[in-house]
Amino acid sequence: MEPLVNVASVSRKFPLDHSFVSALSHASLEVEAGEFLAIAGPSGSGKSTLLNLIGCIDKPTEGHIELDGVDTSKLSPGQTTALRRRKIGFVFQTFNLIPVFTAAENVEFPLLVQGIGAGERRRRVADALESVGLSARANHRPDLLSGGERQRVAVARAIVHRPALVLADEPTANLDTKNATQLIDLMRDLNQRLGLTFIFSTHDARLLEHTPRIVRLCDGQIESDTHAVVLAGAGMVGGSNG
Amino acid sequence: MGKFLLLAFRNVFRNRRRTVMTLLMVGGGVAGLLLAGGFFAYMIDGLREHTIQEGLGHLQIFTAEHFRRDETRVLDTGIDNWRQVAATVKSGSHVRGVAPRIEFYGMVSNGAKSSVFMGSAVEPAAESSLGFTPRLSSGRDLSAKPDGEVEALIGAGLARSMGVHMGDGLTLLAVTSDGALNGVDVQIAGIVKTGYDEMDARYLRITLNSAQRLLQSDRVTNLVVGLDATANTDKAAAELAPRLKGTAQPMVLKKWIDLAAYYLQVRNMFSGIFLFLGLIVFFMVLMASVNTLLMAMFERTREIGTMLAMGTPRLWIVALFMLEATLTGALGAVAGVVGGNLLGALINASGLHMPAPPGLTVPISFHVLHLPALMIGSSLIVIVSLALASVLPAIRASRLQIAEALAHV
Ligand SMILES: Nc1ncnc2c1ncn2[C@@H]1O[C@H](COP(=O)(O)OP(=O)(O)O)[C@@H](O)[C@H]1O
Ligand SMILES: [Mg+2]
Repeated sequence: MEPLVNVASVSRKFPLDHSFVSALSHASLEVEAGEFLAIAGPSGSGKSTLLNLIGCIDKPTEGHIELDGVDTSKLSPGQTTALRRRKIGFVFQTFNLIPVFTAAENVEFPLLVQGIGAGERRRRVADALESVGLSARANHRPDLLSGGERQRVAVARAIVHRPALVLADEPTANLDTKNATQLIDLMRDLNQRLGLTFIFSTHDARLLEHTPRIVRLCDGQIESDTHAVVLAGAGMVGGSNG
Repeated sequence: MGKFLLLAFRNVFRNRRRTVMTLLMVGGGVAGLLLAGGFFAYMIDGLREHTIQEGLGHLQIFTAEHFRRDETRVLDTGIDNWRQVAATVKSGSHVRGVAPRIEFYGMVSNGAKSSVFMGSAVEPAAESSLGFTPRLSSGRDLSAKPDGEVEALIGAGLARSMGVHMGDGLTLLAVTSDGALNGVDVQIAGIVKTGYDEMDARYLRITLNSAQRLLQSDRVTNLVVGLDATANTDKAAAELAPRLKGTAQPMVLKKWIDLAAYYLQVRNMFSGIFLFLGLIVFFMVLMASVNTLLMAMFERTREIGTMLAMGTPRLWIVALFMLEATLTGALGAVAGVVGGNLLGALINASGLHMPAPPGLTVPISFHVLHLPALMIGSSLIVIVSLALASVLPAIRASRLQIAEALAHV
């Protein structure tokens, strides 16, 4: 079976003055459906660049990326938009909820964009809010929610249309340690319960305890790709294939 | 679609201060247009009724020949059997009355000095039954049954230049329909101020009988028809035109609008001024809002990036921004219509007057008409203006590079 995500020797250079910065160079990565994967690395290591490329909101300068067997470099802008709409859910560092929408309306938005009927939308929004434990907050506007709650609404929004892949770029960077841990646990729970594939990035190593696979980035290069087998009650047995 | 509209609507109220400023500007523009347009319309309507009531009437009947050639002798293109024509016309629905007139000219003399007059001869009873009353500054109207002495009304300017007052005598000289010179002594019954200085300098009015004697003719120049309401002019004209077909002399029926050259000039001038004001408001709103809308779009860069990342079609973003601007325009228009009408009602209640404009000798009261067409037109001006103003920001928003927009702080 082919992997859900196949990053094949991808580079991304940004023009800078009369030269360029290499934000990512020759990165290769395969992610299977159902995985829970962290991209770790210090600030400026290329985490956002890699996630943006996988999420089809940026284009590689070299190499190509396949999503579900589709070479994304061959898609027209309209097809790319449609692919993001159907297959990808995004969680952002700064939550990025629409401030004039309630929690429920924010979660509803991706369904609206997909043209799903009102009844179906209501059911799915209720399910998604339930699965992040925020049913009681459905009618609150973001400014009445705490940071942790806002990010959980964002997670609900990212999973409501049952995407093949959820991308979360430093989702915990604006949360305190307790909320950050809870958020990672929530995503891991959704991954295990609903079989959703998650790729998230962080520069905080403390959050990676329960993460089965960690890809480490440094200076735009993949340094290591670690699969950990987490055994109940036991320690971690690590194996590197990076 | 409902949610999308809701999003646009809520976004309109997102930045209260900015929205209030925009609404004030847009509403102010609409209110200004309503006040100016409403006042213009009031003046134009007033001028229309004034023109008709001053003696123009709603319809006038001439011989067809009257328009084909100039008279070589007085009344040689006049209506011959005018009593019969008048009777035919009088039976029409909406017709309140018919007044015969003679237009003539000649010399007026006080013995020492003479001047030219533009005379009109009327049947006082017919005129007053139609509500056509001369604007007398002193004296009284011509009496219906003159006892011996021939009475005349003269313009204030003519009275001044002749050095005469009410009760004084003057001599009129005119060429008869046979080409002979004839004269008549008249007594001044009243002095008239028409409202137009130029007319007042030549104005003279005597009774139809006196004029027919002076001119040695039993014809009249035209018949003036008064209707129950100005709005019925077209209907009445359509009804009367076929009835005039059977007369011995071919007749022509003219509507008031065809004869009101001055009224048309004034109306065109005010339409022009209003159009100009509309353009000013349009461009003012356009210029001011492009800036505000660009600013609003810039502040929402990350939000737009988020929506685009989630696969929102770029056209939706264009539509959202344009919808928001259009809604703002509509709200501003509503505010302007409400505000403008309130202000208008206030002005109307206050009974303000403004000084007489040049050429007119009577002051005009400050009154504003509440016209639905004007409200719709002014609202459309600002709504279209805002919608246009939003095109550039909307397109810019839709073209944002997603990754850059998301990194925007
Ligand atoms: N749009 C851009 N223009 C120029 N340089 C960029 C741009 N985006 C990222 N970079 C550079 O690429 C490198 C990686 O950035 P990024 O992927 O944002 O790192 P991280 O998310 O791990 O902090 C950094 O050196 C950054 O300065
Ligand atoms: Mg980053």
